[in-house]
Amino acid sequence: MCGIIGYTGNRQARDVILSGLKRLEYRGYDSAGIAIGNGSLNVIKDKGDIDHLISVLPVMRGKFGIGHTRWATHGPPIKNNSHPMTDCKGQIALVHNGIIENNITLREELMKRGHVFRSETDTEVAVHLLEEFYDGDLEAAMRKTIKELKGSFALVAIHNGENGKIVGARNISPLVVGVGKRENFLASDVPAILEYTDRMIYLLDGEVVTLTKDRVRITNFEGKEIKRSWQKVDMTLEGAEKGGYDHFMLKEIFEQPKVIQDTIIGANLNAESGYSIDLTPDTIKIIACGTSYHAGYVGKYMLEELTHTPTTVELASEYRFSSDTHSEPLVIGISQSGETTDTLSAIKTAQKRGLDTLGIVNIVGSTMTREADSVLYTRAGLEVGVAATKTYITQLVALLTLSIKMGVAKETLGIDDARHLTKELRKLPKNVRSVLDQSDAIYELAQKISGAKSMFFLGRNINFPVALEGALKMKEISYIHAEGYPGGELKHGPLALVTEKTPVIAIAVKDQTYEKMLGNIGEVSARGATVIAIGTEGDRELDKYADYVFYIPDVPPLFTPILTSVVMQLLAYHTANILGCEIDKPRHLAKSVTVE
Amino acid sequence: MKAVILAAGEGTRLRPFTNSEPKPMIPIANRPILEYAIDALAKNGITDITMIVGYKKERIMSHFEDGADWKVNLNYIDQKKRVAQAGTAYALSMAKSDVKGDFLLLPGDNIISPSLIGELLKKKGKYRIVVTESETPSKYGVVELSGDTVKNIVEKPEQHMGNLISTGIYKFNDEIFDSIARVMKTGSYGLTSVIQSILPTTKVTAVKTSKVWSDVVYPWDILTMNAVALRKCAASTSGKIDKGVILKGPVSIGEGTVIRSGTHIMGPVVIGAGCEIGPSVCIYPSTSIGNNVRIGPFTVLENSVLMNDVQLSSGSYVSHSVIGEGVELDPQFCAVESDTHVQLDDEFRKVGRLGVLIGERTVIGSQVSVKPGSIIGSDCKIAHHSTISGNIEDNTRVM
Repeated sequence: MCGIIGYTGNRQARDVILSGLKRLEYRGYDSAGIAIGNGSLNVIKDKGDIDHLISVLPVMRGKFGIGHTRWATHGPPIKNNSHPMTDCKGQIALVHNGIIENNITLREELMKRGHVFRSETDTEVAVHLLEEFYDGDLEAAMRKTIKELKGSFALVAIHNGENGKIVGARNISPLVVGVGKRENFLASDVPAILEYTDRMIYLLDGEVVTLTKDRVRITNFEGKEIKRSWQKVDMTLEGAEKGGYDHFMLKEIFEQPKVIQDTIIGANLNAESGYSIDLTPDTIKIIACGTSYHAGYVGKYMLEELTHTPTTVELASEYRFSSDTHSEPLVIGISQSGETTDTLSAIKTAQKRGLDTLGIVNIVGSTMTREADSVLYTRAGLEVGVAATKTYITQLVALLTLSIKMGVAKETLGIDDARHLTKELRKLPKNVRSVLDQSDAIYELAQKISGAKSMFFLGRNINFPVALEGALKMKEISYIHAEGYPGGELKHGPLALVTEKTPVIAIAVKDQTYEKMLGNIGEVSARGATVIAIGTEGDRELDKYADYVFYIPDVPPLFTPILTSVVMQLLAYHTANILGCEIDKPRHLAKSVTVE
Repeated sequence: MKAVILAAGEGTRLRPFTNSEPKPMIPIANRPILEYAIDALAKNGITDITMIVGYKKERIMSHFEDGADWKVNLNYIDQKKRVAQAGTAYALSMAKSDVKGDFLLLPGDNIISPSLIGELLKKKGKYRIVVTESETPSKYGVVELSGDTVKNIVEKPEQHMGNLISTGIYKFNDEIFDSIARVMKTGSYGLTSVIQSILPTTKVTAVKTSKVWSDVVYPWDILTMNAVALRKCAASTSGKIDKGVILKGPVSIGEGTVIRSGTHIMGPVVIGAGCEIGPSVCIYPSTSIGNNVRIGPFTVLENSVLMNDVQLSSGSYVSHSVIGEGVELDPQFCAVESDTHVQLDDEFRKVGRLGVLIGERTVIGSQVSVKPGSIIGSDCKIAHHSTISGNIEDNTRVM
């Protein structure tokens, strides 16, 4: 999981690469480096983020080069383990994203042949292999090298003897070519190079690309040339600036009313179907990781209620290794980036089993949009904060629109009910906005809990996954230990941990679980815990049970997770901010995880 | 050259529409007022803009982000102090470290045309001020000239000094910050006092304009301004338009909007994205409809502004009215217009033809009718069959 970039053209490569790395920083930021070719190779790298790299970077002249920002998998984040890696003679520089699984055996062989290793990374074997195979042609050496490698990788290399040439290769880890005028680019992700061009070629697995400033040559692993044309990406960089907000996360939280509406428009509820798959499966399986998994979990309740279809949710990393049950569910994969390796592999597993697959994806043109049989886009725009907010909310909205369409297709939902739900859907932007308007009130609640070492999040039914997500948000950005539990599970264990020092955040909106949640609130407050409850506007009972209550607008139960989730986001944000945490770049975490 | 836009004000006189939206974000022809100022600068090649924000700044920042959509480069400064005496000079002083040399200053809550900025840029002089004729000069800073030189400027004069007023649009030099600091020490925080203080030693050149400049002061001004802005509306349709829909004159329809059959729309009318209109709805000039609005069958709209997320049910009549964000109206809502007077503080003001003004998120039951000139606050709940007249405060429940 790292970000890589390459440039060749007439600009100073240093500037292009640094600005690109800055935009790739969400992919990792524990060390960074850059290599510029100018007759000889000039490599500078260090532990720390891009700003640190910029502060130690001398003037480097040269019109082609590569750069890397790292999220450590093999070897701790120290200077020697940073990329670019160089060969023994210092003539080849290479950056890598992914994991080389057979690196230990390769390393031993290469050491026997006299290569000197200077890092603990898996990457270094690739650069020594390039050196081994190099015979005046970097592209040929790259092709031989990748034949030796097992695992997932995107590699980009330059050689000081081949002026202005960059060679890249992809297997599983993403790599995209940006086509410019008398200049060309390579990067892990579109935003890194969007400032310079919107014409992109997404490399496929098993392709090698050679760039000079005037030419893009794509070949397969055997060396046969493949003709591919560029496609224009419809994405702007405007979202990549903080635009007055203290943090990307807060900016993205406040963008939610707009992106919810964009997603509703994109779902095109007025059209007949719009899906190329059968919308009447007998069972549904949702697979995802992290926050997307929580969105999928909420989706389970929506799908079951509106389509009466048994739905299970599974972590993508687990589904891959599950047994084939020979049942035929529709498999829905949810991934913001569309590049999450675990989810992509799970989609492939499902296809091998002959199942229909549907991807819920934010990034247009990403790998999952090509792999899945049908795609439903969330239109959240570019999300930079590592903690997912607007992409998660739009996943919930997308799942709701999907549930409505499927319900109509399965005739579990009458057109009249569908119309009613569509009307309710229209009220979402304003209801989210009214929660955002109370951000200051949530800040005050955050002050009550920011001193805690541990806390619990409780919810039932469709708001149970929201409790999981609330706890995850709290953990990832404020570093406070937090657990999400279904209210009914308290007495089966976790209640033992509840004391006056563990605040409890309880979702007690007006639905069929309300009375039970009041009981749970009673249980924890009897043990002295401070309780913050999230209730429905107009509720006059709840404040008798909880210490503090935050009210959301009165919406049908199916819609409540979208509003309660926004409260969770702001609560985590304000808590982390009070504690002075690095909100947009939490330690050890990266945005889209393209390693297993 | 850089520009500074003052967008920190609340616009209390525009309540209920400024309860959670700052005045610069009030939509006129479906574009926030502030967008006109940014557009006017961009069209004159001024792309480096510093925006002073304060009240509900998130609404502004979330809409404009870094300005790339408008081809400008926006930078925000939070005017932390939000007390009444924090006037325009105080707000401008926030930008001191951000501007060097010559710069323009614009209010973010006025409609400003590109040609007006063009006139300002053409004129010579280190300090320039744009002035215009006004029918109600006593609400503004009134300017006295000799030739094109400002001789005197007085904020909201009690005695008549002529009809020339300051538009709040200036060309300054960074030396103004020293004058601002000096004047603020005396306890004055308005720019008018600062200009007044430098007049004896510095030439301030007046740029007289008749180009479009207008200020929205009271909520019913939204209607007048909307009608003026819609005259420039160009026809453009995306979305889905059913058979049997009649569009006459310039009508602009946004992405994802559905117009059902039997609907009759007479431009100038703008309709935002993701709306559902009809079947059989009549929309007459000059009407603006925001994003995500639903209008049920057999409803008539005339010369009105419906902001985002409004739900207007079937069989309703809405004329010369402004409906705030997220208002929900059940069937057979009736707001006819007539020549009205509105009570403001202790005085009655003639406001011309007006239907109703409804603040955001108010929910109104079926068969409610309102007397012309009524103002309903935000977050009210009004039971069905009610008849409403006069002013209803925010958060009121009418049973």
